Amino acid sequence: MKINSFNYLIRQGFKGIWRNKMMTFASFCILLVSLIMVGFTILISINLDKAIGNIEEKSEVMVVIKDDVSKSKMSEIEGKIKDIPNVTEVTLYSRDEAWKDMMEKMTDAQKDYFKYAEDNPLPDVFRFNIKDIKKMRETTTQIELLDGVESVQSPTEFADVLINFRRIFYIVAIAIVVALVLVSLIIISNTTRASVFARRKEINIMKYVGATNSFIRIPFFIEGMVVGLLAAGCALVITKFAYEGVYKILNDDYHLFGIFGLNNIYSFKTMFWPVTLSYLVAGAFIGAIGTSISAGKHLKV
Amino acid sequence: MVEFKDVSVTYSSGVDALNRVNLKINDGDFAFVVGPSGAGKSTLIKLILKEIDATSGSVLVNGFNLKKLRRKKVPKLRRTIGVVFQDFRLIPTMTVYENIAFVLRVIDAPAKYIRSRVPYVISLVGLSKKAKSYPTELSGGEQQRVALARALVNDPQLIIADEPTGNIDPELSYEIVELLKGINECGTTILMVTHEHDLVRYFGGRIININKGSIQFDEVIGGSNEDK
Repeated sequence: MKINSFNYLIRQGFKGIWRNKMMTFASFCILLVSLIMVGFTILISINLDKAIGNIEEKSEVMVVIKDDVSKSKMSEIEGKIKDIPNVTEVTLYSRDEAWKDMMEKMTDAQKDYFKYAEDNPLPDVFRFNIKDIKKMRETTTQIELLDGVESVQSPTEFADVLINFRRIFYIVAIAIVVALVLVSLIIISNTTRASVFARRKEINIMKYVGATNSFIRIPFFIEGMVVGLLAAGCALVITKFAYEGVYKILNDDYHLFGIFGLNNIYSFKTMFWPVTLSYLVAGAFIGAIGTSISAGKHLKV
Repeated sequence: MVEFKDVSVTYSSGVDALNRVNLKINDGDFAFVVGPSGAGKSTLIKLILKEIDATSGSVLVNGFNLKKLRRKKVPKLRRTIGVVFQDFRLIPTMTVYENIAFVLRVIDAPAKYIRSRVPYVISLVGLSKKAKSYPTELSGGEQQRVALARALVNDPQLIIADEPTGNIDPELSYEIVELLKGINECGTTILMVTHEHDLVRYFGGRIININKGSIQFDEVIGGSNEDK
């Protein structure tokens, strides 16, 4: 296609926007609302994912070692734990250390009670973190079977809850995004149908004089894309202010959310490019495809 | 050139629109196609434009075998044909100039060519002064002349005029046919479908009479205008 034709088609696309102001506005509003909703669903999922990640990092596993285990056996156990791929940051919390810590926390009266204890009753403990919370049960069982291990204390039930919660949340988020995209496509293709219908004569004549289908589609495609990009721009501005408002509440005003790992959500700055790009791509895509679907229906002359 | 070999068309409703039609229109011919409503005239045009396909037989148009022509190549075929409709089918939001230039844009013609070719065809149909007018500001006869200029602008091998005089005053009808005759003299094949027997009798030439899906009559007759 020659540059001059391409310019003509782009001009026609922009003319179309102006000619069908009401329809364009309707499409714009639908896209704007959909994009904001999709955007927030994604932003919430990313942050929730991070929050769950924070909680996961805090889920520590403790391996209690039997009393009669020798020093060399201890380092053997440590080596075996470290060899498990799902294990990270193994630290030894020795019985002496534990005893010291306990003593520090105690009141004098309590200390008196332990004065007469023959020996330190606390066990040696290895502490470590889990890389993949989904494999927590498996890792726990693996360590329990090691010789010299008394017991393993891990928050497996809590991990199960987290895993299920995360799975459900993903399904819901994906369903919301897919549903919104589909609904916007349907509504936009219906709104454009009216503007395509108004131009059916033009399309019909184009077919008779030998216009190719793509030549007929391009102006509609451009029209939809421009509306999509405009909606994306507005959605971005609205999302920015809304998100920053929420960010301020969670981070600055209510530290209480920190308990749930919700205080360190991403700032909008770090999310800016992914959000901007997904808005622009989604807006242009939904707008262009939505209008092209309608144009296609009138191409069969 | 248009050639029908044993062409039959049966619509999905079961109606036999054309029945084993054989017809040949050579390059440079001028032919009137006449016949009552429902005779099969529109089907004939639809076949030539490949809006529909023949149920059996073969159709050749300007070197294209329509049976073998793929959907994607249909625009190529249509660029060799100019069509004039009874209801003009001009785009109301475009001026006379734009309505005609639009055809050249569609076929990706260079801007320079469009700027010289469009005023030329507008002058051929005698509407130079109305180039900036919109279709609604023109009379029926003028609108049909614009449609004619549009059919003419990309220099097609064949012009199909489907009842071009049906919506305009009788006296202006002669003007339109005169214009078509003039175009024909430059070498373009013209196929004009009409109901108006007076017009056909006046101009004479090749007359193809279709009735009930078959060609009843295909001969050259002398026109009454030649007697004068």
